[in-house]
Amino acid sequence: MPLIINDEYPEKLFREDGKRLDGRDLNELRPIKMEVGVIKNADGSAYMEWGNNKIFAAVYGPRDVHPHHLAKPDRGILRVFYRMATFSVFDRKRPAPGRREKEISMIVADCLEPILFLELYPDTSFEVFIDVMDADGGTRCASTTVAALALADAGIPMKSLVSALAVGKIDGKKVVDLSGIEDKAGEADLPIAITWYNEEISLLQFDGDMDLDDLTEFLDLAKESLAKIHQIQLDSLKSKYVTLKREEGEN
Amino acid sequence: MENETDENVGEDIQEDDETEDEEFEDFEDDEDTRDIVVPGEVLTEDTKNFLPGRGTIYNNDRTKIISLNIGLKQIKKNYVNVIPLRGFYTPRPGDKVIALVIDKNPVKYKCDINAKDFGTLKPKNTIKRGKIRSFRGSGGSGGGSRQEEANAEKYEIGDILIVKILSADRLNKPELTTVGKYLGKKNNGFVISIDPPKIPRVIGRNGSMIKMLKNLTKTNIFVTQNGRIWLKGEDIAHERLLVESIQKIATEAHTVGLTDRMQEFIINEKKVRGIE
Repeated sequence: MPLIINDEYPEKLFREDGKRLDGRDLNELRPIKMEVGVIKNADGSAYMEWGNNKIFAAVYGPRDVHPHHLAKPDRGILRVFYRMATFSVFDRKRPAPGRREKEISMIVADCLEPILFLELYPDTSFEVFIDVMDADGGTRCASTTVAALALADAGIPMKSLVSALAVGKIDGKKVVDLSGIEDKAGEADLPIAITWYNEEISLLQFDGDMDLDDLTEFLDLAKESLAKIHQIQLDSLKSKYVTLKREEGEN
Repeated sequence: MENETDENVGEDIQEDDETEDEEFEDFEDDEDTRDIVVPGEVLTEDTKNFLPGRGTIYNNDRTKIISLNIGLKQIKKNYVNVIPLRGFYTPRPGDKVIALVIDKNPVKYKCDINAKDFGTLKPKNTIKRGKIRSFRGSGGSGGGSRQEEANAEKYEIGDILIVKILSADRLNKPELTTVGKYLGKKNNGFVISIDPPKIPRVIGRNGSMIKMLKNLTKTNIFVTQNGRIWLKGEDIAHERLLVESIQKIATEAHTVGLTDRMQEFIINEKKVRGIE
């Protein structure tokens, strides 16, 4: 007899004092922690804790393409494997990749492709494995962010990093970085990714109910927070080497 | 014969270092500040006086020079370079690398050279010239090739070879040869591997680091561009010290004044371990 839990959402997504349910302001991010070089056998790797999300990313490549018919003779390919662990959500997630996983794998790959020089590596594949250990809303954005970090750690030439974030509308107010419950119970959400090379939007999805006129406002709101995420990415990437340098200085 | 070649290795390497230095001259040690940069970071907005060098590009409207890699920023003349700290080995013609034979058939040997593709070593590229030349009129081309076959070196799966890359490009598998100075099979010693971008630090400026390592640990070393290092010492204690030193170099590759610090470290360790 399976345990059936009704999805019950609170009526209000704001507290009495005007803050969100987890105590954040409207444009406040959840706490983010990133680390690179966590998986020894991978060419590059990264780990991220974003609120309650816990995500690993590992990069392998350049290497041969299997199955071989996927190889392109004029350029390399980027393959992303986004998977959620069975224990990452409340109901056990079936381990077989479903439609959602395939979609997210595809959008993350499409999002990262413009920053890589795939034409320099014909007949080659770069593979990014993203494993979500714990999920609480916004995993596609977090996955994109951490995958970019892992690619940079692998030493693959890239034009810039990519940062992603979801903005949305809950109870009629515009907020950034929706948590799991806000994502489900809110009115609209809008995941956005940006390539910092030319500051172009690399991912834009939309779900829910929102006025089209609000879009530019949402984009402005997102860009502010994306800059913060980008800074955390840069710091975590450098910290691997800077801490070593500091130790040397002390000695 | 084998012993002779092995004894020569010590000298061989010194010549080798000098050739390798030319390529990695830009990995200099004497700069005080080494900025760590990450992909997308703006290196300079002064595009009139600077040009993008290795590991860098212009942005779309050519107003900035940005980095492509995680590495160390370096300005040389009017070029802005980024020396990568992470990355993979891309074979280039002329490189001498350590290869592992992983498959063989009558037509070719398949070698792992720590690159994306396996290298192919054809028997015709293993024939040492000047050994036994087929005499004139020995029976046409057929006889000649049979003679050559007899002269070709025979390798087994699992052999460690030092090979030179004859041809390498983006599309085809690299072709290798074992004919040449210092090339051929290694019968003793062992091979360790580190990140390929860190190899220039193991060699040091004008081969200073490798000379220091060799003198202090009395070990023969052969450093190759694909991140593999062959070494053979007097005894296991010296070899172990050398391996630990190389690993220390690899983890501290981005720091300044590494050669002096390593010298101190080795002398200190030798006292601690009681080896001379």
